[in-house]
Amino acid sequence: MISKIMAAGLSRRTFLKSTAITAVGASLPSMSLAAGEPIKIGFLAPLTGAVAAWGKPGLDGCEIWAERVNAAGGIELSDGKHPVELVSYDNEYDPAKARTGATQLIREDNVSFIMMLGGDTWPGVQPVADKTGMLFSTLLPSDLSPDSTTLIAPTEVHPIYLVTGVDYLADTYPDAKTAVICAQDDALGLPSVATYLAAFEARDIEVLEEPLLFDPATTDFAPIVTRLMSSNPDIICLDTCYSDYVHPICEQLFQQGYKGKMISATADFYDQMIAKTSKEFMEGFIFQFPDFDDPALAGDNINFEDANGFYEAYAERHPGQWGAVSWEYASIMDLWKAAAEKAGSADPEAVITAMKEGGTGKHAFGDAKWWGTELFGIDNALVGDWPVVVIEDGKAVIKGFKSIPDWYDQHGDLLIKHMQAYDQMYDQRG
Amino acid sequence: MLDLLAQTGLNAVYAASYISLVAVGLVLIFGVMGVINFAHGELFMAGAYVVVAVYADMHMPFFLAVIVGLLFVGFLGLLMERALFRPLRDNPLGGLVASIGFLMILQSLAVMGFGVRMEFIPPVTQHVIWLSDGISIPLARVYVIVASVLLLSALWYFLKRTRFGWALRASAQDPQAAELQGISIVQTARIAMFIGAGLAGIAGALTAPLISVNPHMGHSVIVTAFIVIIVGGIGSLEGAIIASVVYAFVHTFVTTFYGGVVADITGLALMLLVLIVKPTGLFGSADRA
Repeated sequence: MISKIMAAGLSRRTFLKSTAITAVGASLPSMSLAAGEPIKIGFLAPLTGAVAAWGKPGLDGCEIWAERVNAAGGIELSDGKHPVELVSYDNEYDPAKARTGATQLIREDNVSFIMMLGGDTWPGVQPVADKTGMLFSTLLPSDLSPDSTTLIAPTEVHPIYLVTGVDYLADTYPDAKTAVICAQDDALGLPSVATYLAAFEARDIEVLEEPLLFDPATTDFAPIVTRLMSSNPDIICLDTCYSDYVHPICEQLFQQGYKGKMISATADFYDQMIAKTSKEFMEGFIFQFPDFDDPALAGDNINFEDANGFYEAYAERHPGQWGAVSWEYASIMDLWKAAAEKAGSADPEAVITAMKEGGTGKHAFGDAKWWGTELFGIDNALVGDWPVVVIEDGKAVIKGFKSIPDWYDQHGDLLIKHMQAYDQMYDQRG
Repeated sequence: MLDLLAQTGLNAVYAASYISLVAVGLVLIFGVMGVINFAHGELFMAGAYVVVAVYADMHMPFFLAVIVGLLFVGFLGLLMERALFRPLRDNPLGGLVASIGFLMILQSLAVMGFGVRMEFIPPVTQHVIWLSDGISIPLARVYVIVASVLLLSALWYFLKRTRFGWALRASAQDPQAAELQGISIVQTARIAMFIGAGLAGIAGALTAPLISVNPHMGHSVIVTAFIVIIVGGIGSLEGAIIASVVYAFVHTFVTTFYGGVVADITGLALMLLVLIVKPTGLFGSADRA
């Protein structure tokens, strides 16, 4: 009988998928809500440990977002308005703890949606997502694969936005023709290395030697900086280093007398870097994450409601804590809220359907399209424009928004080539 | 190329300095008390947080903060001796497990007291000593090197030339014989814990402005210290110092010329090689191994 069904076109993969979908119905807790009952949203990210800087500020931002939404009456579904409630679980950037957290959030807390940082923790959660059909978000599209249809990357499009910074650098400093790259050897560092290699190659900037990968447990960066400077590059690229690395690397670059250009995915707490080096040394530092008090974020193209007001509230409540992710999870919640209200339901399947309807979405930095089949095997990343940010006179300034899809249309083959070389394509990841 | 070699050498001297302070403290505690102190990396972390509190937050002078770090962590060591290791003196495994528990307590206290993210510590000095156009060393790193040489020299003098030092060495060699000679094992254990913990604390305090201070910073330090004391020979102070220098130079040069991940593998390979050729370590004795 089974062989007859197989012969009729039911592959093993389809059979397993069908079984999983049936299991979803049995395993997901009821998504129906009583009138006025809070909609619970899971926040499953590192709140302690080395990667906490990319989790905790996001939760702080989401709490401000939730207060704003609840003050305005909550989220309107077909059965009326519901307040929103965040339920957090610290996964410590550990895959096993992330899996436990996902299970608890779904089974015990009855959340309707779970936000994650992703990266090394996603493989721990993926089986839970597959089994329950829960809708998850990641900040790292490199987690996406065709096997996980309920994982979306609706805000941060790491690492592909990095190409915009390199484009700006090449346009602004055409004499800078050589670069070196360093990165921690992990799920954040490696796809980022591949992306920078592609971006530099696209602009004829020679990468002088193999990217220098270091152990995430590294504390003394003097040897790494000595090595980076040894080839006398025009540009030093700090890849997607965590702020725990960006700060001591910049300090070492300053102390060892580096005079060239610097580019990095992030420059969280850059005021502290300036304090340890100098305003002059950090001048022109290129990265990708703006402060939300930037006037450019009050423009008509921006879909993050009252970005400047959000920054003001955040800075008042958490002075000196603004970082790359402070707004990102809140922006994801904006998209989720719009989709849930459109669907009239918090049901994961209804929300993702509404969210992707028409193939476009309102990304924080402008209208964008659901994209990614070539790179991730699935169109679950919302990709459009991304800002290029530069430190000028001690302050982060948006220098412009550049289109990621436009870059990819011209140089996509380069990106795929380097992603493949680092085993980072969706079909290469274990 | 010569500049690169010289700069790498200076980087290695700095690394050897703080690693040797941590490793010697670990060896001293093991030598006298027979306990592998897994919380030693967190004692290093505690010293760094004293600098955060006293220097960065309270704006007291940096060197005062370093001395407070030495004393505070030294007293933490006394607390560990009294509360953990003395009741478990006849149970080395118990002492090890207790130190792991204490490690977690210290990490949690750091999280509760200071939060989870990296602490910002203002630079002690931004002065850089330039030996040539391509060779430099920040003055803050020179402080660490000088302090390490002075402290380890003082420790050597204390152990070789003072009655307390002789008592400590006697306790480490044969606790029962030392006790029969009237040496208080409890007293020598206290001294060893105070000095051993204090060395880790001062290493953390001195290096705090140069590294990322966070609640989990002790992890990489303790791993390095374990490699060093195994290479040097568990229980051997001279071995710990020499192994610190060897490890720091190997790790720093390999990082610079081949990469950080290769350097970590090389460090572990060095430890395995020593264990194969000389299972007691370079300077270890069979009864301590």
